[in-house]
Amino acid sequence: MITLKEALTLSNEELKEIKKEINKKAKEKKELGGYIEQFLDTELSEKGEGVPIAIKDNINVKDWEITCSSKILRGYVSPYNATVIDKMLNARLSPFGRCNMDEFAMGSSTETSQYGKTLNPHNPNCVPGGSSGGSAAVVGASLAIAALGSDTGGSIRQPAAFCGVVGMKPTYGRVSRLGLVAFSSSLDQIGPITQNVEDAAILYNIIAGYDKKDSTSAPVDNEKIVFDENKKLKIAVIDNYIDEADKDIKNAINDVIKELEKEGHTIIHKNLMNSKIDVATYYIVATAEASSNLARFDGMRYGNRIEGKDLKETYKLTRSQFGEEVKRRIMLGTFVLSSGYYDAYYIKAQKVRHLIKNEFDKLFAEADLVLTPVTPSTAFEFGSKKDPLEMYLSDIYTIGVNLAGVPAISLPIGKDKKGLPIGMQLIAKHFDEQTLFNGAKIVENIVKEAK
Amino acid sequence: MKIDIKTIEKLENLSMVEIEDKEKMANDLHEIVSFVEMLNELDTEGIEPTFRVLDVTTPLREDEPLKTEIIKDVLAHAPKAKDGYFIVPKIIES
Repeated sequence: MITLKEALTLSNEELKEIKKEINKKAKEKKELGGYIEQFLDTELSEKGEGVPIAIKDNINVKDWEITCSSKILRGYVSPYNATVIDKMLNARLSPFGRCNMDEFAMGSSTETSQYGKTLNPHNPNCVPGGSSGGSAAVVGASLAIAALGSDTGGSIRQPAAFCGVVGMKPTYGRVSRLGLVAFSSSLDQIGPITQNVEDAAILYNIIAGYDKKDSTSAPVDNEKIVFDENKKLKIAVIDNYIDEADKDIKNAINDVIKELEKEGHTIIHKNLMNSKIDVATYYIVATAEASSNLARFDGMRYGNRIEGKDLKETYKLTRSQFGEEVKRRIMLGTFVLSSGYYDAYYIKAQKVRHLIKNEFDKLFAEADLVLTPVTPSTAFEFGSKKDPLEMYLSDIYTIGVNLAGVPAISLPIGKDKKGLPIGMQLIAKHFDEQTLFNGAKIVENIVKEAK
Repeated sequence: MKIDIKTIEKLENLSMVEIEDKEKMANDLHEIVSFVEMLNELDTEGIEPTFRVLDVTTPLREDEPLKTEIIKDVLAHAPKAKDGYFIVPKIIES
């Protein structure tokens, strides 16, 4: 597939041909299930005349049906554009195709979607990751030039790693959340999923920036990314994370670290707290916020209402359309916020969140970037995670980044013995996306040379 | 903390979500809650709960009216609407 950088040089006529081609291929490869239209047997949704960009189904595009892959939102037609969509349209990018996702972004494999499975483009028996599994799969399968995803605990970076593409989560507050259906408001960020690091920077440059309509948007300067690949960086490698990961992942990362040292970058070795602490904190904070955010889905003003004999029954019938994982998280979030348990669980988790943020602050007092695996294993098989907790633990290295609000990028560095992509994660301090992209480009060059 | 079916029933009422298999949900939540209780091993004495990760306060802006067509679009796709209003079930019982 043509890169985003190249596509931006094409005329609208030429882009029309590319869109035709994508529509044709999406039909031929229907079983991928990366686009929701592949389940609905329709042409890909379209807005504007520019470069086609696939959009996760939780980002509002005016006049599109947006469902978050949930039954409860079927029939909801968006009356407005998310700020990122307006910015894209102004930059000659055109939303093209709705990407499948875990229902309300709650999952790590896209298996909780109410439409059906999305396959991993490298092995149809494996999951594409999640929750932005559709976005990563269509880019990985050459069915999209680039895509937008959203990342609450790793939902851009983990599927990017599983599908062998680049996925980036900006600093919390860097990209407007207006028009992104809220899951966990203090953690959610929209970000790019692309074929290479340069394309990620191009799409990031377009969507980033202060938005007065989002009260959590950060009023900071928004300088465009300009690559400097000659910078020498100080990189903190997190030894205990790398040691815990599968052998192939460990070896691939150690090879990259060796090359970085050879090129004159300074490597320092550090450890972080047990990553299970991040997971525990996350599942309290995120479900608490989710149970509150998802209270709005009551079938009164939008979505699919199911009438009962009175108001209460209408609420309950309508909300029974939530899938099992969404219900589980609403239950858990309601529990940790309920009277008698609020201090013991919710406040405790918020305090631990402070500890996690302090750990990152300490690392960035010494280093420009932090280097970790994205996941402990490469893409796993469908149905292989038997209970919810096991699934939660597959996001173990990505969650701390959201809790601390820092930016991070996942990029492919090789393949394991089974031929599945291996991803590596770089993390930067708040609002230092420039150094993050510099580091990612340097690593991408190393990986290219090794091939 | 033991989560039983009674707790699930209470949570169902708080969240307006009905659970079919209450026993399974109780077991799932019990397992997850036992897991997150590992946080109790961490000393958080004197630490402020972080509710925001950035040191910025919520910015204020002037409340200026804007003309928009959005109301029409919202009502056009509402489950039930008439004369510029949402139609909802009766809320006050007689």
